[in-house]
Amino acid sequence: MRALVVDDSKAMRMLLGRQLRQLGFEVGEAGDGLQALEVLRAESQWSVVLVDWNMPRMDGLSFVQEVRGEPDWAGIQLMMVTTETETDQVVRALEAGANEYLMKPFVGGALAEKLALLGVLAA
Amino acid sequence: MSLDNDLEEVVHEFLVESYENLDQLDRDLIELERDPKSAERLGSVFRTIHTIKGTCGFLGFERLEGVAHVGESLLSRLRDGRLLLDADITSGLLAMVDAVRIMLARIESEGNDGEDHYPSLCARLEALQEEVAASARPAPHEAESMMETGSPREETPFSTEEEMSEIETTGVATPAAPLPVATERTFSEELEEGRREGADPEVRSSGGVAESTIRVDVHLLDRLMNLVGELVLSRNQVLQHTQQRSEAGLAATAQRLNLITTELQEGVMKTRMQPIGGVWGRFPRVVRDLAVTCGKQVDIELDGRDTELDRSIIEAIKDPLTHVVRNSIDHGIEGPAERLAAGKSATGRLRMRAFHEGGQVNIEISDDGRGIDPEKLRERAVARGLLTHEQASRLNDREAIQLIFLAGFSTAEKVSNVSGRGVGMDVVKTNVERIGGMVDVQSTVGAGTTLRMKIPLTLAIIPALLVTTAGDRFAIPQGSLLELVRLESDVAKRAVETIRGTRVYRLRGELLPLVDLKHMLRIPQESDTGSEAVNIVVLQADGRRFGLIVDAINDTEEIVVKPLGKSLKALSSYAGATIMGDGRVALILDVLGLGQEVGLVGRSHDQGVGAQARTPGEAGEAGSGDEAKATDAILVVGVGETGRLGLSLSAVDRLEEFPAERIEISGGQEVVQYRNDLLPLKRLADLLGNSLRASSDGEGAGVLQVVVCSRDGESVGLVVDRILDIVEENIELRRRLSQPGLLGSVVLQGKVTDLVDVGTLMDDLASDTPTRVAA
Repeated sequence: MRALVVDDSKAMRMLLGRQLRQLGFEVGEAGDGLQALEVLRAESQWSVVLVDWNMPRMDGLSFVQEVRGEPDWAGIQLMMVTTETETDQVVRALEAGANEYLMKPFVGGALAEKLALLGVLAA
Repeated sequence: MSLDNDLEEVVHEFLVESYENLDQLDRDLIELERDPKSAERLGSVFRTIHTIKGTCGFLGFERLEGVAHVGESLLSRLRDGRLLLDADITSGLLAMVDAVRIMLARIESEGNDGEDHYPSLCARLEALQEEVAASARPAPHEAESMMETGSPREETPFSTEEEMSEIETTGVATPAAPLPVATERTFSEELEEGRREGADPEVRSSGGVAESTIRVDVHLLDRLMNLVGELVLSRNQVLQHTQQRSEAGLAATAQRLNLITTELQEGVMKTRMQPIGGVWGRFPRVVRDLAVTCGKQVDIELDGRDTELDRSIIEAIKDPLTHVVRNSIDHGIEGPAERLAAGKSATGRLRMRAFHEGGQVNIEISDDGRGIDPEKLRERAVARGLLTHEQASRLNDREAIQLIFLAGFSTAEKVSNVSGRGVGMDVVKTNVERIGGMVDVQSTVGAGTTLRMKIPLTLAIIPALLVTTAGDRFAIPQGSLLELVRLESDVAKRAVETIRGTRVYRLRGELLPLVDLKHMLRIPQESDTGSEAVNIVVLQADGRRFGLIVDAINDTEEIVVKPLGKSLKALSSYAGATIMGDGRVALILDVLGLGQEVGLVGRSHDQGVGAQARTPGEAGEAGSGDEAKATDAILVVGVGETGRLGLSLSAVDRLEEFPAERIEISGGQEVVQYRNDLLPLKRLADLLGNSLRASSDGEGAGVLQVVVCSRDGESVGLVVDRILDIVEENIELRRRLSQPGLLGSVVLQGKVTDLVDVGTLMDDLASDTPTRVAA
């Protein structure tokens, strides 16, 4: 299983990547939405993309909209990673086509639970 | 935990990116004050704090998270357009950024974010957003619908207590709650616009450039530079050997090695170059804060941000630059009323310019303030006894203005908390000269002042004079070299006099104190010093001139500076080492350190800034100086085997060594004859009790280390066992002590140090009571 972490903070990418690897994922990273689109175009077989909301160049919402505008990527599960101050954004992200959301900060169990919900991880 | 290493890496990365983002944030906030509606900048500021807060949650830095959270709430309101940025809010946010920096620094040094919750800062930030929240409080039904849209928050484990308490205290529905839908739309549209602009790489200034660059550990660069230095030296040796042989193949290979090495050296030097913008970036903030403090209006203009300098030089000029900027605003630029009266605009201009010229970097700092009045400077120089009337009147205006660089010549009429920090322009000059640069100032009364620095591109390779003494070679950086004087033996006999134990030479009517390098090296001197010619290297450090006597003067050469090993670093007389073409090592003399070692140059204000500039390798370790902290210079001495005592340097007059047999007893008091007077001695070991005294009597009994303190013409000699160091640190008494003569304990350089109350000791002396011995 391959997971792509999209976040402008490298520290966040490292944190998420670490947890994902512990869950058995192969992890890729991108620093913003545009870069993430490039990665998706260049490599296939991504099961899930974890997307931060606030990013320079292309933010999480625009990224979700872009991905959902491309039929080839319909099978990719999108998970918004947000904080409690962005609850309204969750609604918008879900409307735009994100499959799940995850509130920061989260403990290891929460991530696994959500991934299981998406069906990309055996519960 | 097995994850620790891994997590440490994350924390490191978190620190690196947070620092970077905060620098950008400072600039953004200042820009925002001008253009409070810039969605792009607001977005970027918000993102930074938001990311810090989010990451903190994972890393367990709760206090930092708390502060960032309050800041984020305020920022989200700004971003929403529900609150317009004004000076109050900017100040509040800048204060928050400072708090965040402090906590980050603590995380860096100690691994946790400290104890401070910054309650007043948080309250201030909350108050700032409350003002708006009150005015823009949504109607009840809107609030309800908000709660509905915000339903996922019930599922989140992080409806934090902190937030709950915030709700209680502010009494406003939910400060951090989502927005009414209508506002949200307009805002998102606004944001959308910002993003569309942002997507255009031409418009976008920050972010997105990272792909073509990578971050490299500074220590790795230092190491590479070192290795290249080694390679250059090996190359020189190879070239020397090949010249003695006639193999064509070898010569060609050596030639190639030569070219490649040169190119590699240039390449590595280039990687160490940083745009000066990195240092300049903080000046808009410094200028703003200062201008506010001084009640002035100042615009800053930065020109040539991309001009590149070696990173060690950037470190070294940071503090001098800050000092000059402070001076300009504090003393140069007038208040709005005075400016208007003089027919200028109310807002002053400060212009900083950097450019390359003739293999050097030029930095100009100019203001359009009141300028420097040469006549006033002449008067002050005479009043301070630095010049005679006649000398002063002989100076032309240009020369008179250079007087500001004289030691002990503070231009501040009243000591202000801005530039009156005990360091003057002389320190700026010393520090710039120390790295081989030059400072010059021009000023027109009423029109402004321009200060120019010329700085070498790198510290790694410097021109130096090579001299020989006692068979060893030494390199003296050209920057501190004034002239060379050779006295033939018959002249030397007459011209070199001895005054109070110091040899001096009358150079063009001025007394030049002489120091024999042999003496410095503790090499026994032949008794008949007058029988041969004397070579004097005239040096300048910290505005003081002195002559260094050497055996022979060899040549000038470009040398590769190498930092000294750890065990030798403590020797202040050496700035580093270099390897000569024949493979032998030559020590590089640190002229300032040398002058201090022999007591010809004051020590008090050198630490800090100057210490950073010694060698490229060392400069990096100095870390980022936090100039906002008031520091006090403390002389640290050792007493007994373990005793560490600190003396405020302001109380210290001189450091002396007396042979033990010079101690005499007068009226039950130990004294030595000193400068035609009797100097009473006090053994600091007595302050620490008997146990330490016993051990201190045993060691080094032959020579006494004496710290001479003076007050109102009275002096006392404090006998210590070792002079350890001079440190400038923020002093915080950890424990008060009841012993007489001690102020209390502080922690200096990570060690407990007892502060000596020199005043009380002097009082004891004045009232002629015997020293009270504790224990």
